[in-house]
Amino acid sequence: MWGRVVEIMTAVWLAVSPFVFGVQDNGTLLWADIGIASLIWLFSGLSYWRPTRHAHLLILLVSAGLVLWGRFAEIPPTPAHQNHIVVGLFLMMIAVIPNQASLPPQAWRHGESQA
Amino acid sequence: MSNQILSTQDIHANVPPYRYNPSAWSQRIPICVLALVAALISVHLSLFQWGLIDSVYDPVFGDGSENVLKSDTATTMYGLLGIHDASLGVLAYLGDAILGFAGSTRRWQYRPWLVILFGIDVIPLGVVSVVLVLCQAFLVGSWCFLCLVTAAISLLLVYWAWDEVRVSLTYLWLIWKEHHDKRLLWDAFWGRRNERLDATAERLLSREVD
Repeated sequence: MWGRVVEIMTAVWLAVSPFVFGVQDNGTLLWADIGIASLIWLFSGLSYWRPTRHAHLLILLVSAGLVLWGRFAEIPPTPAHQNHIVVGLFLMMIAVIPNQASLPPQAWRHGESQA
Repeated sequence: MSNQILSTQDIHANVPPYRYNPSAWSQRIPICVLALVAALISVHLSLFQWGLIDSVYDPVFGDGSENVLKSDTATTMYGLLGIHDASLGVLAYLGDAILGFAGSTRRWQYRPWLVILFGIDVIPLGVVSVVLVLCQAFLVGSWCFLCLVTAAISLLLVYWAWDEVRVSLTYLWLIWKEHHDKRLLWDAFWGRRNERLDATAERLLSREVD
């Protein structure tokens, strides 16, 4: 589940980044970053539960939105928005990593095969 | 209905035409380490482009690196991308490491989509590196030592990654050649298990090594 751990840590960075970039007085940026980070925590967390194990794929949508917001909210993008582009692209790569990625998929571990 | 669980030996099986398993950790870990080294070098270049450090390490070309990283070409790319090109390099090399690290030692069959995604990240990155080196030569007229190092690493990564991508593509091609079934090919691409796919994989493994 290392992919999910990395997502959660990246979301922590996103949540604190308004303070790092000194834009915490901008309520839109602050609450948007915290809200997006919360969504990532939610989807990563749900991925640990078997019925919603594919929830991490929803992070692809969130991260695509983050990249577009970062790229087009202000031109040229400010440092805070450049952070959104970088974090979004990074999350896109991580979100496709399967749970228990270093092991064979369930079908091979449990010997399930369709004729 | 097959309920056979593959043995450890099967998971680590060598894949013809190679005398080794291209998905083995011993094949993939060096790729991940080298990609991380390239990512760290790109972080150094990014810090300069962001203005967070005053100079770039360059024992060969002196001010050449700074000329390249602050060139009109770099500025144009920044205008298009919204982030500096070196930052994009960091992400691309991290992607190589992440996609190289994910998956078991038989991912060429279990997760072909992951191997092909890995190939899509590694191979175009090598091409982009060559293009950027050509830009240095013909557009900027200066050379950047660390950029050349990362370009060399990119090409080495392409060389190292190709065998695994080739094996996955060969597996998918064999499935298509034997069955001409789009649905089966789709299942194979996403790593779903099926007796016919298992049989094709076994046929691939039983080929003679050159």
